[in-house]
Amino acid sequence: MRLEDVRLRYGRSGPWVLRGVTARLDPGEVAVVLGRNGAGKSTLLQLCAGVLRPARGRVVDRPRHVGWVPERFPADQPCTVTRYLTAMGRVAGLGRADTDRAVDRWTDRLGLTPFREVRLPDLSKGTAQKVGLAQAMLRTPGLLVLDEPWEGLDSAARGLVPELIDEVLADGGAVLVSDHRGETVRLPGARHWTVADGLVTEEAASGDGAVAVVEVAVPAARVAGTVARLRADGHHILRVREPATPPTPVLVPPTPVPSSSVADPSAGRPGAPATGGPAGAAEPSVGVPPPDSGSTVDPARSGRPGEVAR
Amino acid sequence: MSALVRMRLAGFLRTGRALAPVLAGLLALGILYGGGRARPAEAYGVSAVVLFPVLAWQAKILLDVEPDVQRRLAMVSVGPAREWIAGLLAALAAGVGTVLVALGFPWLVGGVTTPGPGDLPVVAALALGLWAHLLALLPAVALGALASRALTRTAGYGVAVLAVGAVGTLALGLRGSVAPWLVPPVLTTARVLAGSLPAGTALLLSGWALAWAGVALTGYAWWRRTRP
Repeated sequence: MRLEDVRLRYGRSGPWVLRGVTARLDPGEVAVVLGRNGAGKSTLLQLCAGVLRPARGRVVDRPRHVGWVPERFPADQPCTVTRYLTAMGRVAGLGRADTDRAVDRWTDRLGLTPFREVRLPDLSKGTAQKVGLAQAMLRTPGLLVLDEPWEGLDSAARGLVPELIDEVLADGGAVLVSDHRGETVRLPGARHWTVADGLVTEEAASGDGAVAVVEVAVPAARVAGTVARLRADGHHILRVREPATPPTPVLVPPTPVPSSSVADPSAGRPGAPATGGPAGAAEPSVGVPPPDSGSTVDPARSGRPGEVAR
Repeated sequence: MSALVRMRLAGFLRTGRALAPVLAGLLALGILYGGGRARPAEAYGVSAVVLFPVLAWQAKILLDVEPDVQRRLAMVSVGPAREWIAGLLAALAAGVGTVLVALGFPWLVGGVTTPGPGDLPVVAALALGLWAHLLALLPAVALGALASRALTRTAGYGVAVLAVGAVGTLALGLRGSVAPWLVPPVLTTARVLAGSLPAGTALLLSGWALAWAGVALTGYAWWRRTRP
């Protein structure tokens, strides 16, 4: 699929959200779309999925079957999970038997079996999000577009998303995924597209984009405040772990962060967990992804890792 | 596409939102036929006029039942054109149901006279009634589509489009109107059905209604390009 000088704005007098975007995504590739809130990530994804139409430029070679998982699944619909997925399977062009098989398969894979006869409005946010994933996968898509797919999912279900992506890639499909929570650490080898100022730039996935992950422990009562402060400072929070032991503040050794010592063996993989050292037992984790994501800090500029915890 | 039509009709019926226009239609028909008996063809012409805003409202409600994101999911699945057409077909199907109720209603409540010597037979009267209601239904669905949330975004604008369309159709359709061609020929059809109906007039009115609906639906498709 190619985007050729694509421009888009909402309304004739609105500002351009995308200004001359040119990009290409080949079969078997996955691209992570990064950017600040309001930068146009969802707009770009909807453009690629075929929901939005460019005001200028064009999207060419879009695969025939596209699966789109919106950021918020529209759960306000008067039907059960089974009925909804069956209807969506038929809408996608599957036959009755194929639809039934696909619904059985994906409700089972995504842990939706106990909820099959539950009405959509009665589902929790995470379960509804799984229904959104299931409807996109009923017919193996040539292009899977995931808008914040991890939103609302529990830790067990989060691991399923990379599995789904791998399946699409293995079938020769392409995947676009947006993420603002650092979950794309689960997608090694993904290309990184950054949306900023209406343009899309692709960042190198290795080399100077090496990643440093700093794990910091804080008292449990101060987790929320610390996370908020770190985010305000422009750091990228990868995850917050529940304390397994009484929290003990741990300071990462105050040495400059060579990417290999922190993110090795995955230098270049944003948000790869740190290995070794006292940080290995510390929580919560604070990641410092590459400087391309808009909310990242270059290790060379961020000073000593210990400063992150203070 | 038929699966999407069925899905939308099912959503329309299950939410209970189908009830409001049906009740409004029954109320309008009850008032219409409560005053006395009329010849079937003439009564059907007036019935189509009375139901025009109800049918447009019903189409708007049906097109608005789905959440916006679900409408876009359907669009990704079947493509934009099929998504628009499926919505319009579902609205037409629901409208046909209402029309059938309107055709049978006067016979149930004794609102029409049984054909006497020189009158049209019942079958012919029913056929004329169906024709008159279909001439109202097509433009009504088009008006409902123009008032749907996908285009108007807010409930206020949606109601405004619906009200202007319905009132305009009645106001500009009156005898002596300066621009009757601006609106669908709902009132003209009712006037014609009060007397005799030459074939040429029937064809002209059919073409007029189809052209009006075609122009309105072309506008709908044009605006939907940028309003998914």
